[in-house]
Amino acid sequence: MSIAIVLFALLVTAWFLAMIESWTATGRLHPAAPLLSGLAHLGRESVVPRTPDRVFFETAPVLLLVAAMLGAAVLPLAPNLIIADLATGALFFNAALAYVLVALIMGGWGPNGAYAMVGGWRFLGQLIAYAMLIVMPITAVAMRAESLVNTAIVGSQESLWNIVYQPLGFVLFYIAAMALAFRPPFDLPTAEGELAGGVDAEYTGVRLAVLRLARLLLVVTLASATTVFYLGGWHGPLLPPWAWSLIKTLAVAVSMLLVGHYLPRIREADLLGWCWKLGIPLALLNIFIVGLLILVVP
Amino acid sequence: MYIQAFFVAVFGLAAIGFGVVVFRTSSMVRSALALLFSQTAVGCMFLAMQSEFLGVLQIMMMATEMSIMAIFMVMFMMDPGGLGGMDMSHQKRFSLGAGGIAAATAIAVALLSDWGPVTAEAPDAAMQTRELGFEMLGRSMLIFETAAVTILTAMIAATATAIPAREPANHDHKETSR
Repeated sequence: MSIAIVLFALLVTAWFLAMIESWTATGRLHPAAPLLSGLAHLGRESVVPRTPDRVFFETAPVLLLVAAMLGAAVLPLAPNLIIADLATGALFFNAALAYVLVALIMGGWGPNGAYAMVGGWRFLGQLIAYAMLIVMPITAVAMRAESLVNTAIVGSQESLWNIVYQPLGFVLFYIAAMALAFRPPFDLPTAEGELAGGVDAEYTGVRLAVLRLARLLLVVTLASATTVFYLGGWHGPLLPPWAWSLIKTLAVAVSMLLVGHYLPRIREADLLGWCWKLGIPLALLNIFIVGLLILVVP
Repeated sequence: MYIQAFFVAVFGLAAIGFGVVVFRTSSMVRSALALLFSQTAVGCMFLAMQSEFLGVLQIMMMATEMSIMAIFMVMFMMDPGGLGGMDMSHQKRFSLGAGGIAAATAIAVALLSDWGPVTAEAPDAAMQTRELGFEMLGRSMLIFETAAVTILTAMIAATATAIPAREPANHDHKETSR
């Protein structure tokens, strides 16, 4: 039952997000827009480029979708509303989302197109920049909870959310999550106007529909992770726990869309430089501060 | 017990299957990603053997490591797409012999070793993680620290090697241009 509810919640959140995205792009709020757009994709011809690496080309969109959903499977909506409450939940979340990179490399290499390939390898370069900024803030979160179990991590924030306890970790994780979701200003692998869509460029029809759905679910999963790790998860007054989780997830996801809407695309070299020279020392400082707080404050 | 053994066997066969693909393809990216999925199958074997932390860690680490290896193979190999018909195999007889001996040794070790009594129940996953943490920060710390420092040294050395040398040729050029 939990599986059905969590999957339904994921889809509803993704639908809401697609509606907001369409609103920011067209200026018109149309609740049926995501559905109509999806149906239009299904109706279009799904073109296969000349001499593709067929296995990679077909696998990439599905792998991206599966990675996003596996990441969401270990994030709790409420104390008992989680698909798999693993003992290594926080680590599993990283493991699942590591395959986003694999999917993008496959999607870049598979179609045998220059723009797509540049996009795929760019994402690898991007990963080298942000990967540590996903893992190191989660380490500090797990330190406070003294557990890798995601429900325990939410439980550790009952009195004080991690966004207050470790604000530096939150900022780093939020930025890295946007880079992992390759949303603007970190949309280097797709880079419309520069790479003509990059990894998306050669996909059409059903395959593009799956790819777009996967990207939306990825944003929802990362927003949900931000909620679980930093915004107290299901904790909140009056409303039922699942409602708080959904509200916070939606708020984070919409904030990611808005931030991307107003910022210009970052250069690869700048992203690498800032993440390595500034981000990683700050993430280490965050771990040190959290360690001190754990030792000093009872 | 039998279900576990079944899944261990299935993932083991998948690991071997993807391992074979590594050598059967000429595309560097296919080869690297086949190796990735072979290692992922090994991670799944850990999971089937109730070794959750090691399994998840293996599945996570291999995704990034093999992807980075893929780009290095594309950068350095002459025929990264495998479309030029380049034959990468060499010393075939020696390789076959060495592979056969290694496989026979591994099978002999597996069959002839005294593995001790079969543990009826593994400790729960959270306890395994805890015990692994104590092991790594206790008895095995020296080994891990040595490995870490070695890898760091290799990274620094590789980066230093990759930095282009200052060009003395420029001086010659200037002198001749004068």
